[in-house]
Amino acid sequence: MTEIPENTMINTTEAGLAVAPPPVEQPSATLPERPLMELLNVSKTFTVRSGGKRLTLSAVDGVSLRVREGKTLGIVGESGCGKSTLARVITGLHSATSGEMIFDRAQIPASGKRPKEVIQQMQMVFQDPSSALNPRATVGESIAFPLRVQGMSRKDVDARVTKVISDVGLPASYSGSYPHQLSGGQRQRVNIARALALQPRMVVLDEAVSALDKSIQAQVLNLLTDLQRDYNLTYVFISHDLNVVEYISDEVVVLYLGQVVEHAPAKELWENPQHPYTKLLLSSIPSMDPDDSTRDQPLDKDSSEIPSAINPPSGCRFRTRCPMAMDICAQQAPPPIETSDGHLVACHLYTEGSQAAA
Amino acid sequence: MTETFVPPLLPKSFGGGVDPVSRAAAERRKEEWNAAVESVKAQSFWIETGKRFLRNRTGVVAAAIVVALALSAIFAPLISPYDPLIGQPVDRLKDIGTPGHILGTDEQGRDMLSRILFGGRLSLLAGFVPTVAAAVIGTLIGVIAGMVRGVVGTVLMRFMDMLYAFPAILLAIAVGSALGPGLTNTIIAVTIVYIPPVARVAQSSTRRVVVQEFIEAARLSGASRARIAWSQILPNVLNDIIVYASGLVGVAMIIAASLSFLGLGSAPPAPEWGYMLNSLRGELFTTPLVTIVPGFFIFLTSVAFNLASDALREAMDSRL
Amino acid sequence: MLRLIIRRILMAVPILIGVSIIVFLLMSVVPGDPEAGLVPDDATPAERQAIRHQLGLDQPLPIRYFHWAVSALHGDLGYSTLRRREVSDLLQQAWGNTFVLAAVSAIFGIALGLLLGYLAGTRRGKVVDRVVSIFSLGGLSIPSFFLAILLLGVLSGQLRLFPSGGATFDEGWGVAIQSLVLPVLSGAMITMAITARVTRAAIVDVFSADFVETLRAKGLTEFGVRMHVLRNAISPVLTTSGVQIGALLGGSVLVETIFRWPGMGLLLYTAISTRDLEVVQGTTLVIALTFVVINLVVDLVQAAIDPRVRGAVS
Repeated sequence: MTEIPENTMINTTEAGLAVAPPPVEQPSATLPERPLMELLNVSKTFTVRSGGKRLTLSAVDGVSLRVREGKTLGIVGESGCGKSTLARVITGLHSATSGEMIFDRAQIPASGKRPKEVIQQMQMVFQDPSSALNPRATVGESIAFPLRVQGMSRKDVDARVTKVISDVGLPASYSGSYPHQLSGGQRQRVNIARALALQPRMVVLDEAVSALDKSIQAQVLNLLTDLQRDYNLTYVFISHDLNVVEYISDEVVVLYLGQVVEHAPAKELWENPQHPYTKLLLSSIPSMDPDDSTRDQPLDKDSSEIPSAINPPSGCRFRTRCPMAMDICAQQAPPPIETSDGHLVACHLYTEGSQAAA
Repeated sequence: MTETFVPPLLPKSFGGGVDPVSRAAAERRKEEWNAAVESVKAQSFWIETGKRFLRNRTGVVAAAIVVALALSAIFAPLISPYDPLIGQPVDRLKDIGTPGHILGTDEQGRDMLSRILFGGRLSLLAGFVPTVAAAVIGTLIGVIAGMVRGVVGTVLMRFMDMLYAFPAILLAIAVGSALGPGLTNTIIAVTIVYIPPVARVAQSSTRRVVVQEFIEAARLSGASRARIAWSQILPNVLNDIIVYASGLVGVAMIIAASLSFLGLGSAPPAPEWGYMLNSLRGELFTTPLVTIVPGFFIFLTSVAFNLASDALREAMDSRL
Repeated sequence: MLRLIIRRILMAVPILIGVSIIVFLLMSVVPGDPEAGLVPDDATPAERQAIRHQLGLDQPLPIRYFHWAVSALHGDLGYSTLRRREVSDLLQQAWGNTFVLAAVSAIFGIALGLLLGYLAGTRRGKVVDRVVSIFSLGGLSIPSFFLAILLLGVLSGQLRLFPSGGATFDEGWGVAIQSLVLPVLSGAMITMAITARVTRAAIVDVFSADFVETLRAKGLTEFGVRMHVLRNAISPVLTTSGVQIGALLGGSVLVETIFRWPGMGLLLYTAISTRDLEVVQGTTLVIALTFVVINLVVDLVQAAIDPRVRGAVS
């Protein structure tokens, strides 16, 4: 990995981000790319009503993570772990309840409208190819919409639309088609084209290939890696499908009930998973090798239900399902510990003093 | 709708090859590809709907009747044989088919055909204007209520519920009697009656649309709420509203006719169909055929509107 | 279930209040002075003012509404100076008559509509289906007052089968039932038409559902399958029946006027044409409240028989 010199990057932040850049940590030796985006202790709670009572659902709880420029950060977790909420907090579709977000060294306002520059540089690809496109708009109109909103001239819009349609591997004539005329894979390409139209630096992909057939998935994943290479894109790739995440990610964050339990380079995480939950997840991947159906024995003591984010367990949220749960797990939330370079894990098994117990 | 052919993804190359056989094969692949791309032509929802509507014979006939009625109402001053307001007392209550008075004359000797033609203006206005006005206002309210959760949306819809808690004709009568007789007041009354149901349709349609991901995509582009409502939501709720509203025109006409039948609509001697029916009611047993002429026209127009509305609903129900 | 009933009733309360506010406001904006009937034409402004004060008309609208609503709750809807009767007295009698007419019309219309819709839905595309769809389109498009006049002309005028005027049960059951026939036919036509359409659509819908195949596969007789389908199709019919009864109540103004049936509709019509505001206000309020209560009952009945509706609420 080579360090990308500061001055080669497209620097669009000078115009108008009033907030002074906060001090950035010195990049560690093995991962020299500076972070494009950082989340510090970000939380998102919803108020839900049930049986006349108002309950607080903490969908994302104290998440801190780093997305490195030009790389892919994978976010994995079971359904309901807050992945999609986190994606929407990052892109600003939901405003965070608390915490700080830093994009390109400038702080993003926690709520309210984001500056134009941030909107433009951070786009999203949605999960459902059938609901992500306006059925009454042609492909060209859908892709052009964000450009028009940003006030681009008609001629530039047309040129950009033609460009991105060919970038995602669709013939230019598709610009006049309606979504119902396209296949799922083609719609997802249009979806990607729309996200690219504003020439963002970072794209959040929320289960972007999950709804597609396996063969189409591979095509779209290849397209994504090609585009990343060609345009130096930074991806936040959210999926429940560990095979896909392993394929595309440089680093991976494992979420459990809205909290980060492990954050490590992809290769390291697969070779040396540390958090019991990560081990459980990895052991449940359907293996490609017919001879070994599961890597390890399942970790679940009993296949009890996943606790709810409305009333999460005290201390470590995973303790109710953890085979290694200790007394301390119910009392204290484990802080993230760096066990090796760039490998963070939030588990009492690795905190000082409880080593012996493990 | 028929399944459209979906061409495969763009091949990186159509292949080449050195020998003539493989070159020919590559050429053929390229032609097939181009043909496939050609077949995916723009098929706008509205063009498709129009095509499907034209294939429905009943709908076309009904629409033709509506157009014919509208044209004869618009050109009533040109084609009416007599003045609709002035009659010859000696010609009172001539039966249908009387030379010079094809549809007979009324109790004041006025030519029925002329009165029907002029009356069509009032009835069609009373059918169309409230429907269009209510569709516009109701859509505005419904889309806002569907987009804005919380107090604003709830208050708007609860207010609609309160108006909706009246039987339609009773509310029209109550508003009509509060405002007093006259065509304008009838139109206002029927509009008020129709706003709540249109708002409900628009609201539930909007709530179905706002949860879709393309709305989030639009928000992500930094578009304002108004812009999203106009360019993303409206085109997707419009067909529901049009289908619903088109079914209201006939009923609006009937309500308006009912109001004037009760003496709350257009003021006499204006030849409104409902009022004509009421004033001829006394002659039911002497010239029954002349008496039912205005009623027949209300019925005919209403049938035509309902048939056209049904055809439109079928044409739009393509689940695109 | 009990919680559901209480919830629905509580939800109906704001609607009831809203309805009463709308009725009150509508009658407050009526052009002309409400006291006109009570004041001699040559009264001085001071005398006029005194009477306005006596009637509470010089008070602000919200206070007047409050007084009106409180007395309405006590059953006092004012006094008709024209008829020299308490409005509530007039309404009590009229309500019963309208109730009979509307109930008979509703039962007749819904039953016939169900039957026709069932026949059409189970014989889709056949002659029966076409006849029913033409018939229900006609019923939907014909104004009740026109139908009433047609029926009068043919059945009463030409054939002399039924009396043209309304008679009530005070004049004996025979006469009353005879004179009910024409109003019921003209009022129930639209109910029948809409019920037939809704039933047909629901039956077609249910028949195309997978569970029907399952029932057949399980060896249920065709009759058993049909009963099952009918039971599943009844919910949408019930949903519309509230609105239908409302339409009947509203339509009673026209039908009762034509057939001189002494119900709330005729009362309202006469009151409007004589500008008897107290009666207009009282009658409108009572019809609207009746409609709200009927909708509440329909809601609860539906929740009782359809678990899906129940689930959607709680």
